[in-house]
Amino acid sequence: MKNATVKRSLLGLASLATLVAAYTVVSNAERFVDPVRFPPVLRDVLRPEVIPPTQSIAEALIALVTGPRSDMASEEHAHAGHHHAHSDHVGVLLQQGVTLQRSLLITVGRVLFGLVVGAPLGILLGFFMGWNRRADDYVHPLYVLLRSVPPLALITYIMLWLGHSEAHRLIPIVYAVAATLVIPAYHGVRDVAGTYVVAARALGARGRLLLTKVLLPAASPDLLAGLRYALAIAWMTAVGSEMLMAENGMGNLIVGGGMWASRLQTRSDPAVVMVGIMAIAAAGFVMDAGAKVLTARLTAWIR
Amino acid sequence: MMPAGSPRVRLEAVDVGYTYSGQTPTRALEGLNLSVGDREFVALLGPVGCGKTTLLRMFAGFLSPTQGSVLCDGARIDGPSSDKGYVLQENAIFPWMTVRENVEFGLLAKGVEPASRRAVSDELMRLLGLAAFAEAYPKELSSGMSKMVEVVRVLATDPSILLLDEPFGALDAQTRAMMQDELARLWEQRRKTVVFVTHDADEAIYLADRIAVLSPRPGRVTANFPVELPRPRSLETRFSAAFSALKRQVWEAIGQSVASNAPKPSPSSSH
Amino acid sequence: MMQMSPAPWTRLRRALVAIGTLAVLYGIAAQIGQKWLPHRIWMDVHYIDDVELLPTYRSLGEELVFLLQSGILPSSIAVSTGRILIGFFLGACAGILLGMATGRSRRIEDLAEPRVTFLRFTHALALLPLYVVWFGYGEPSKVLLIATNVAVVTLLGAHQGVRGVPRVYLDAAASLGADDRLAFKKIVLPAALPQIFASLRIALGLAWVTIVVAELIDAKMPSLGYLLALAGAYPRVPTMVIGIATVGLLVLAFDLLALFLHARATRWMKRTA
Repeated sequence: MKNATVKRSLLGLASLATLVAAYTVVSNAERFVDPVRFPPVLRDVLRPEVIPPTQSIAEALIALVTGPRSDMASEEHAHAGHHHAHSDHVGVLLQQGVTLQRSLLITVGRVLFGLVVGAPLGILLGFFMGWNRRADDYVHPLYVLLRSVPPLALITYIMLWLGHSEAHRLIPIVYAVAATLVIPAYHGVRDVAGTYVVAARALGARGRLLLTKVLLPAASPDLLAGLRYALAIAWMTAVGSEMLMAENGMGNLIVGGGMWASRLQTRSDPAVVMVGIMAIAAAGFVMDAGAKVLTARLTAWIR
Repeated sequence: MMPAGSPRVRLEAVDVGYTYSGQTPTRALEGLNLSVGDREFVALLGPVGCGKTTLLRMFAGFLSPTQGSVLCDGARIDGPSSDKGYVLQENAIFPWMTVRENVEFGLLAKGVEPASRRAVSDELMRLLGLAAFAEAYPKELSSGMSKMVEVVRVLATDPSILLLDEPFGALDAQTRAMMQDELARLWEQRRKTVVFVTHDADEAIYLADRIAVLSPRPGRVTANFPVELPRPRSLETRFSAAFSALKRQVWEAIGQSVASNAPKPSPSSSH
Repeated sequence: MMQMSPAPWTRLRRALVAIGTLAVLYGIAAQIGQKWLPHRIWMDVHYIDDVELLPTYRSLGEELVFLLQSGILPSSIAVSTGRILIGFFLGACAGILLGMATGRSRRIEDLAEPRVTFLRFTHALALLPLYVVWFGYGEPSKVLLIATNVAVVTLLGAHQGVRGVPRVYLDAAASLGADDRLAFKKIVLPAALPQIFASLRIALGLAWVTIVVAELIDAKMPSLGYLLALAGAYPRVPTMVIGIATVGLLVLAFDLLALFLHARATRWMKRTA
């Protein structure tokens, strides 16, 4: 089947290349064809402010990667008469010393923090609920109520308590991850691990041995699947929280700096947004692939 | 209901009843009395759904009767203990551990050090021809072998009581016969007190010293048959006249117990 | 772990006890908070006075009455819910249809990939600024954002649902003489329903998260997000708490509805105990 996969990926790459080429043509349309020729609807859409030409995207990417230095370079260009100004958006970001790599790293850091702290919490709660029917009856309704509140809705409230601090941004991520993992853990204990736990207890196991050698491995397929999902949720919450409330990270990059409600007032440069989206997608893809590999490794014993 | 000459009673169910609560309470067991003597091999025979598993779970310490009591050596059973080996009906071999790790698990739980654990597991696996599979994972084993590993696993801690819940139920006829022989052979070597649940009369007669017939729900013991076939038992035993005679008796007893517990007018929903 | 499963009313009773206890504990905490928590907090650039960090039931009640009577809360709920419903409907239709198409035909799938994967990893919220640039502020950008996210999730669900139909069903249908179209209609679709419904439920949760953030960023009256944003700007804590609680309850209500519909539509499936 190797041939088929190779063929598939080549096809995929080819279609991607075609897409990029087509986009370049379309986005640069007004360079080639006099805009007056287009019907008015298309004319509006094909402006470079709306559909950024591929070059602008590339420029934005480079600018964001090289950082503040490029700001000075562009000034030189302007002095030399090149009409080559950065958009407001990029300008604001560069002023703040934002670079693509740093933002990405920061966001990844927040995602990882959310996972590392939130996962054990969620898993333990899920185990607790799944283990004891009685506890489940009491705790489950509370869990359902609490997880119905989107973590990002809490962000304004948390700010009252903690001010603009890192904790304030991280708590929604931790909360979201924990809430996501409760169900797989619960299911893993209640439905999957039951038989094994009985057998293990009949063999004399209890306490830590039961938890580490029986419960966790038995629930691990469900847990690992939940972890992959929680990864996506962590990304979403992290970037969302940055879009709302942070001066760094990818969310901030996309929205263009500035504080709070004025965020979308800055003329967002769609090129920057696209760069941001692609960077996030790439990072997310890599992390997800990593999670897939981890899952495969840890569940090699499955039939 | 103790056979004459039996030294002492290990397991006892006194007037045991068990009712599942829920939408419609189901009486799984009612007024059940059973005694199991030391080193006795008792088969619990009954149709599907007569509460055999429930009774075994009580003996194993995972359920408490809603009426009456279950006793082990005279004391109330209040939880599982490794002195009672319990093999479940379902597949309970730990798939994330190798065969050896599975076998050593009970010893691990007891805090035995690695060297001694290995010695015991080596011995047992050799005894049952599993040595070649020691480092294999359960996914590479056939279901017959998996079950065997579960039995061996339970034997590793050398419990004096064995509770087996239709362990060979999911196996095909040939494998089942083979496993029955293995079990019989093991029992010859180290006599333990065994309660063996099955719905197969042949299996019960072949393996046991005594057969307790259970009625359909609500289950109780309707008949006791001492099995006086000579040991060690073999293929010939299965075709002997005594075997057939006993089988007829057992079938008649089952038939009677089913008739006496005729289905009630209200529709019973299976769980 | 082998416990008798208790009668349903026992579970209800325990649920009510749990919720009731929480409510009581909160009440106590709020009262304690009145005395011990700071009332003067620092908000970025200045101090704000008279802030109730844990509003008492009394404040909450008063605020709730005000919000209801003035029509602020009902209209916010209506607007936000309306956006969700429209966006959800649009997105679900698009996603399910597309997902079934890619599931059914390898060729279509090859055409759609890798764009679909890319969309999967596109951040749910990152598209908002882009949409705002393209479609301006206001309804279209938000509704389309929801539609996009819902479409991505349901596409995946429909795709997996169609693909996951056990081969045995298809073989049986073929041997009974069914052609492709009939088989698709009568066998593949019903078999794919559970997956589709599951993804609908997830998409619903996602839609709510999206709308809340979208409305927080691009806040305009009336909407729930705006309510939260405004409450955060003042800050009026009771409003904030009521807003959060309202969102939570709405999410819960929609989720339960989705569960119910899921159960209804897959009545014929065997339930594992």
